[in-house]
Amino acid sequence: MRRNAIWAGKLLAVAAILVWSLAPIALILSSSFKPERDIFAFPPRFSFVPTLDHYAALWARWPDFFVALGNSFIVTVLATLIAVAASLCAGYAYSRFRNTWLEASAFGLIVVRLIPPIVCTLPLFPAANALGLQDTHLWLAVLYATFFVSLGTFVMRSFIDQIPRELDEAAAIDGAGRFATLFRIIAPVAAQGMLAVAVFVIVFAWNEFLFAFIFTSTRAKTAPLVLAEIVGNFDGVEWGVLFAAATVQLAPVLIFVWVMQKYLVAGLTAGATKG
Amino acid sequence: MNTNRRTLLTGAAALLAAPGLARAQARRLDILSHRVHQAVLTQGAAGDLTEPWRRSNGAELAWTTADIGPMQDRLLREASLPQTDFGVGYLLNSRATPQVGALLEPLDGLLQSDPIARYDDIAPGLRQAMQVGGRTIAIPVRHATNGLFYNAALLEERGITAPPASFEEFLDQCRRVSGRRGEGPPVVGLVMTAALASYPVIFARAFAGDFITEDFRLLPNRDAMVSGIAAIRGLFEANALPRTYATITNEDQVTWLLQGRAAFAILPFARHAQLNRPDQSRFAGRINAIEVPVSTTAPAGTRMATAVEFWSLSLPRNARDKALGWSFIREMSSPEVTLGSARNGNGPVRVSTYAEPAFAASTPLAAVEAAALSRARIPFPAFPEASRAEAIFVEEVQSAVLGRKTPAQAVADTASRVQPLLPT
Repeated sequence: MRRNAIWAGKLLAVAAILVWSLAPIALILSSSFKPERDIFAFPPRFSFVPTLDHYAALWARWPDFFVALGNSFIVTVLATLIAVAASLCAGYAYSRFRNTWLEASAFGLIVVRLIPPIVCTLPLFPAANALGLQDTHLWLAVLYATFFVSLGTFVMRSFIDQIPRELDEAAAIDGAGRFATLFRIIAPVAAQGMLAVAVFVIVFAWNEFLFAFIFTSTRAKTAPLVLAEIVGNFDGVEWGVLFAAATVQLAPVLIFVWVMQKYLVAGLTAGATKG
Repeated sequence: MNTNRRTLLTGAAALLAAPGLARAQARRLDILSHRVHQAVLTQGAAGDLTEPWRRSNGAELAWTTADIGPMQDRLLREASLPQTDFGVGYLLNSRATPQVGALLEPLDGLLQSDPIARYDDIAPGLRQAMQVGGRTIAIPVRHATNGLFYNAALLEERGITAPPASFEEFLDQCRRVSGRRGEGPPVVGLVMTAALASYPVIFARAFAGDFITEDFRLLPNRDAMVSGIAAIRGLFEANALPRTYATITNEDQVTWLLQGRAAFAILPFARHAQLNRPDQSRFAGRINAIEVPVSTTAPAGTRMATAVEFWSLSLPRNARDKALGWSFIREMSSPEVTLGSARNGNGPVRVSTYAEPAFAASTPLAAVEAAALSRARIPFPAFPEASRAEAIFVEEVQSAVLGRKTPAQAVADTASRVQPLLPT
């Protein structure tokens, strides 16, 4: 009896978590296929004839959304490459070397994580302008990567710590330098850690709004900015179009996280069992 | 390939230099706006109204669009730089403070040397609001004037055959239509967001009151403000406002009206088309609008000065090509483009536009809106602490409506808390 009650309680808890997590996604998805009049019908309508009108309207009236999606893709890929490369190098350094400078820089990395991003935007805005980097994919990618290098570094350090130093020593005996050892010996073994870092950066960069809003105008404008514009239309929000755009924006990252979930968990638990 | 430190550094330097090399610039005018601003100048029944200007100036337009708040923040940030690419920026009336005015090019000299055609035709209330520190800082081009929308079908179900002629009648009709409605959803008389000051301001103006006048007098008629807040509270107590009044958003007002969950809402006249679109509205063709009526207790001759918000075109003081920017502003605020953009869905700031037969014929509310616009005033003037003043006022009104304090106490507290924030 007691065991059944505990079992039922667990089931209820899992069901509540599932509803809490999935209901917003279900709402977005279903609303994107509902006729406009039914989206906010009261009482809510769960049966309806699905329509693709909102997707067609999104394509016709907000063509720049798809351009912005392309920008989001470019920025995400660039940010991921930069963050993973920097995290790999830094993680290797923190794993294999010990000195005062490194400890101080590790503290610096943590401090970077503590700074609210909005604070950085104030001095960076004129700097980006002066450098001619305003409204470029590269600038946005560098910013995204910068904010994830600290976390990525410690994730990579945890992974590399688990790789025996004997591999480094063997490579050195065979004549490999530090860079060759890192990229030819360590990196392939730490690939799972690099994927874990990549997952974090990709999810962040794909959805980020603040930096994109401040540092882009037209050429590097990302999809979340266009979504915000659809919401903020003061001639009347087209809810169906908004939900269609949200679905298009959401789908790639949902699929990606689903496929990569084991690496995400690996990243979160990296080094957890290290003595 | 051998990967070494030099290779890495060279690659990084090349990546950083690439965008700078790619910024080969053609002659163009960068505009910071909301997407709606771009749409009403480039799409719709009147077509692309910028085309003649682009052709005659040999320049391309680059629109940077964003939501209202972010766009205004961006404009001010750009105007604070030593130099900006943006030649023109749209400015909301509530942002026209002296501090902002100092970042924008004074336009009086340009209005003298290269004038806008029939400039005096632009609604005087709007032009005056853009006079900041004795200088014209922007040219009004779009307004949103509030009217009282009603669902004729819901009123008829309760035997009401005509919209209210007085404020008291309006309050009475709100109470009468509230409640369950056969098989349909329950109806409230009025749906109104609690988040904006403009609504209690309209209620106060119905009794000849106000929040802050254009010459910064706070609560010039306290009894009128008490009456206005008491009227909102009365509706709430009679269940003629949603029980979720405090969390209703601006967009909820439209949704509730579209779904037939509310009989009245105070919204910009420009919403009329959306509210009657068959694909969006359950009461398409049955939602109409009138001017918000005044109270029978207001002094004789009192006419409603409804709340208006408007957008203007401004020229950042640090713009690279001010001549090009002014040329654009001048053209886009001309009578012809004002009429064309009105046909594209813009709220025309020139009173004469409403008299144009073609526009009046295609706009069912043209006469009502023109009358409302001629007396409309901004909810309160712009000043550095305006956001805090609005937040305090909204908080006090909510407290009174929800029964935490009396309307009189809320007005007294508003006075004592807002007075120190006003410019001296």
